[in-house]
Amino acid sequence: MSKVPVRLLFFAIVLSLVMVLAACNENSTESDVDKPETDVEKEETEEAEQTDEPEEAGGETEELYSIDDFSNIKGEDETPLEGGELTFGLVSDTAFEGILNYNFYDGNPDVQVLQWFDEGLLTWDENYVYTNDGAATYTMSDDNKTATITIRDNVNWHDGEPVKAEDLLFAHEVIAHPDYDGIRFDASLRNVEGIEAYHNGEADTISGIEVVDEKTIKITYKEATPSLITGGIWTYPLAKHIFGDMNVADISSSPEVRQQPIGFGPYKVESIVPGESVVYSKNEDYWRGEPKLDKVTLKVINPNVVVEALKNGEVDIVDSFPVDQFPDNADLSNLSWLGVTDRAYTYIGFKLGKWDADNGINVYDPDAKMANVNLRKAMAHAVDNNTVGERFYHGLRWAGTTLIPPSHPEFHDSENEGLPYDPELAKQLLDEAGYVDVNGDNFREDPDGNELVINFASMSGGEIAEPLVKYYIQAWEQVGLHVEMLEGRLHEFNSFYDRVEADDPEIDIYQAAWSVGIDVDPDGLWGEQAAFNMTRWTNEENTRLIKEGLSEAAFDLETRVETYKEWQQLMVEEVPAFPTLYRAVLVPVNNRVQNYAIGDGTGIYRYQVGVSAEEPEVAE
Amino acid sequence: MWTFTFRRVLIMIPQILLLSIVIFFLAKMMPGDALTGLIDPNIGPEAIEAQREKLGLNDPWHVQYWNWITNLFQGDLGQSFQHKLPVTEIINQRLWNTFWLSVLTLILTYLIAIPLGLISGRYNDTISDRIITGYTYIGFAAPVFIFALLMLFIFGFQLGWFPTGGSVTPGTVPGTWSFFLSKVYHMLLPALSMALITTVSTVQYLRSEIIDTKQKDFVLLARSKGVSETRIYRKHIFRNSLLPIAAFFGYEISGLIGGSIFIENIFSYPGIGQLFLSSLMQRDTSVVTALVLLFGIASILGTLISDLILSIVDPRIRMK
Amino acid sequence: MEHSGFRILWREIVRDKLALISLIFFMMMVAFVFGISLFLDESEIVTVDLFAIHEPPSSQFWLGTDYGGRDVFGQLIIGTRNSLSIGILVTLISGIVGITMGVVSGYFGGTVDNILMRILDFFMILPTLMIVIVFVSIVPNYGVMSFSLIMSVFLWMGIARLIRSKALQEKELDYVNASKTAGSSHLKIIFKQVLPNISSLIIVTMTLNLAANIGLESGLSFLGFGFPESTPSLGTLVSYARNPQTLEYRWWIWLPASLLILILMLSINNVGQALKRATDAKQRRG
Repeated sequence: MSKVPVRLLFFAIVLSLVMVLAACNENSTESDVDKPETDVEKEETEEAEQTDEPEEAGGETEELYSIDDFSNIKGEDETPLEGGELTFGLVSDTAFEGILNYNFYDGNPDVQVLQWFDEGLLTWDENYVYTNDGAATYTMSDDNKTATITIRDNVNWHDGEPVKAEDLLFAHEVIAHPDYDGIRFDASLRNVEGIEAYHNGEADTISGIEVVDEKTIKITYKEATPSLITGGIWTYPLAKHIFGDMNVADISSSPEVRQQPIGFGPYKVESIVPGESVVYSKNEDYWRGEPKLDKVTLKVINPNVVVEALKNGEVDIVDSFPVDQFPDNADLSNLSWLGVTDRAYTYIGFKLGKWDADNGINVYDPDAKMANVNLRKAMAHAVDNNTVGERFYHGLRWAGTTLIPPSHPEFHDSENEGLPYDPELAKQLLDEAGYVDVNGDNFREDPDGNELVINFASMSGGEIAEPLVKYYIQAWEQVGLHVEMLEGRLHEFNSFYDRVEADDPEIDIYQAAWSVGIDVDPDGLWGEQAAFNMTRWTNEENTRLIKEGLSEAAFDLETRVETYKEWQQLMVEEVPAFPTLYRAVLVPVNNRVQNYAIGDGTGIYRYQVGVSAEEPEVAE
Repeated sequence: MWTFTFRRVLIMIPQILLLSIVIFFLAKMMPGDALTGLIDPNIGPEAIEAQREKLGLNDPWHVQYWNWITNLFQGDLGQSFQHKLPVTEIINQRLWNTFWLSVLTLILTYLIAIPLGLISGRYNDTISDRIITGYTYIGFAAPVFIFALLMLFIFGFQLGWFPTGGSVTPGTVPGTWSFFLSKVYHMLLPALSMALITTVSTVQYLRSEIIDTKQKDFVLLARSKGVSETRIYRKHIFRNSLLPIAAFFGYEISGLIGGSIFIENIFSYPGIGQLFLSSLMQRDTSVVTALVLLFGIASILGTLISDLILSIVDPRIRMK
Repeated sequence: MEHSGFRILWREIVRDKLALISLIFFMMMVAFVFGISLFLDESEIVTVDLFAIHEPPSSQFWLGTDYGGRDVFGQLIIGTRNSLSIGILVTLISGIVGITMGVVSGYFGGTVDNILMRILDFFMILPTLMIVIVFVSIVPNYGVMSFSLIMSVFLWMGIARLIRSKALQEKELDYVNASKTAGSSHLKIIFKQVLPNISSLIIVTMTLNLAANIGLESGLSFLGFGFPESTPSLGTLVSYARNPQTLEYRWWIWLPASLLILILMLSINNVGQALKRATDAKQRRG
């Protein structure tokens, strides 16, 4: 008997503890609900950069934001200190891989580490065209086939050796070497004259590259296209005096890539804890001038703790920020927010054919389940992506219109409305196309009267993944289309792409997202020979326009813009896929940070970044 | 004794071999590979195919297995596609983090379990025993991930007493005293979160062991001879109850492995558990297989050690 | 003789008020969850409502809504049902496999025992959690049943070992030998005599396993290797807390589920511990 009360007590303690916890949380949500008003005021008074105050859509925390209200530059609002230290947070739930050389790295985490201590020879403007502001200048020959690159005299590797023309040649030779283990030997490098022969061992040198003198190099390309000057030139030299004697296969795992990587950027790598953090010190010999900061620390921050780390000043800047966490933290007193339109979009694609691996082309199948263009149009008109963007992403994602996103302002056709939300039109299109409900189950049958069930494949893992897919299915149900999640569930990234790429006949439509390159050319994603064109749709018009966008005539910007306008319209009319959401990238920056920018062609460089106080500001 | 050990080791060999086969095929059956979903419009399908060919992903399964297992015996676990490093090296980088975290967890587990178990067992049915028993009940019921999440939030964020990620303060020089302290500081909260939960079974075991021993003849005999109570506990009961507990640490290893997957993910601690999940997601198959194999072998060795210690403590076991 | 085991178990539970309360609570919980979910429209609960995202609790949504505007209370009920179903299924399947292996191994001994024990040894060394995670990423499409099967494959060893050692002892006892000489078949001896005598042990182990299995399921879902969101479980609800905003500001999504896991496991363990005491005469109370 006596034993029971104490343990009962424990039960009670646990319960009450939990209740207290719940109460605490309740308080914080209540106060959170109160915040919006003060929040808006603050934005009016403090944030001079913001042109419009965010609209408020009633409701509680459901504020709406717009990317137009964000600047991508934090200039100098206070005088930066001489020296100082800064902490850069690399937001990732895994460690960075640590392949710290532009010629070998694979993707995002590592590039964030690289950006502080190395750079390309050429920089580009906001339209992604190479400029002459970088570590080298360039000229194109009259036939647009040969680039002459001249490296500035004061550009030196961190060890004091000058960056030479032969270093860039060496980079080409390594990447094209049969033992090269990276992924950079891609179409644009294959475009270098004679590089294939070198790759296949038929030649000892790359015939298209000529080292003119110590600092000048000429590279000749097989085909002249406008894409050449928007990312088509490989501009990352590889230090030959260090890597020259190594076997190509050993370079990527060598200490000079892993532990003591070398570059010619504004900061030098001081020490590395593999996968976790990097400490940089300033490179006083940097070619643009002496960097402001004495020391930069980069560390990996889990997305789950990024807000806390920013609040208490543990990090000053992060490389990316989970958008869904923004509304709850928009008013943090110690942060300024930078925003830019992402070079990416989400889209829904229709499976319309097969990949012919032998000939390397997409083959359109006119008998595919989704081959009726009105059915596809109706599906696009049936979903309300603006509401999706507002409700799920607080306006930080918004309805996509064409397949060239607004991150390419020159080429994105802002007048093209795409296929906007219009369920009545969707119904009408379906009726006209013969998709009517003949058996009274509230779902339309196909024109032959057979039951129509559309299988929708989508990836798991994204924050909003499942509700989004559910919403689309519900929206299609509203217009009478029976869409089901493939196998009733979302699919994990690998199995999703495995099946979509292999044209699994079970899949009728799919939702995916991708980043577009800095070059606008859509050939790699939507062309006839593009393996990544997973809709497998193509037609002559598509091939013609894509080709025209790269033709001699397209060196004239006007013509190129017109061509891509036509192409965008073609994709709206044929709807092999329709973009669902464009997106914003938001990055918080501690108030003490000066001269920091995200996005391209801002004219602000890493060596200018400074801090206006010794210690980071902490949120009130 | 030696034949027993020898026999145990002999049994291990086919076990590990079978384990390697199972792991290899499970890993190969996972949909997709390291190159799945790699979308870069500049990289043509030929380039990807060439990579697959180079990685041997297109070879028949038995060739792949044979290559893998023969390399394995030469200590070569293959190359990590994601990290572009030999698997042994990438594992070596992370293994020590997990190893030291586990060591600290074990130390804390016993630091908590022994006093609590002793008190609870010696003074059973008193208030303190009931409080301790109550704690073990809750510890049994609370899943480690919920508890760790709460610990991280309270002590890491709300109170800010502990770092919330990483294994060491950036820039600390390896080999120095401050490096060591920083390491321990980063490990403390994860280790404590895990130890507070895993310790309860040891507490319970120790408690019932002491209660059992208390009534054994030799204790009763000692008591009837007028030996003082403190002396009885110190000389007879504690020693007899603690030995089997000490032997248990080998069995704890498999538990620690499971726990490390949760703990390292919640605390962003760059160890093997975290490496496992990220490699699995990226289909870095060579790392996944190596890790599962490694953990399998670790738990085999753990069991072996425990069995050996137990057989020394209690020769009856050896007979089996 | 046959029923005294059960009687002791029952007596111990009645004597331990907390265990009794826990048992009653658990039974009510099961009845409630399974009962009420008959009346709930599951597809309506997982319907996404763009205009009700992250609603705090109200009279319309008793426990608010999640990031898809889905009713958390409904998900909690369905989720508890799913988690309980899995827990119970896994316990039963792994229990049956384990008992069969254990009894056969212990009762027959010799070569049979040897082979079965080598198989068991092998399964023992598998790093269970990792293998289950790998397994789950291989099977593209799983429901409650297939998920339970996957888990059971790796969870039968503990009970098999225990039952085997008990069966080893039992078969040496006179009554088994007596039956053998009387010409009873093995099956009959196992079912009529050996099993009933170790039944209380089986009940105890399975009860404690039940709690552990519910915990494992929620852990896997927490890591993202459990059920899709369209099949809510307690673990998926807790896993929403991995988003710090949810953890900090929207307790109604994850806290009820965490609590429920805690309370369910606590009450199952309470019952299990009382039963365990009952089988261990030294610690029995009264």
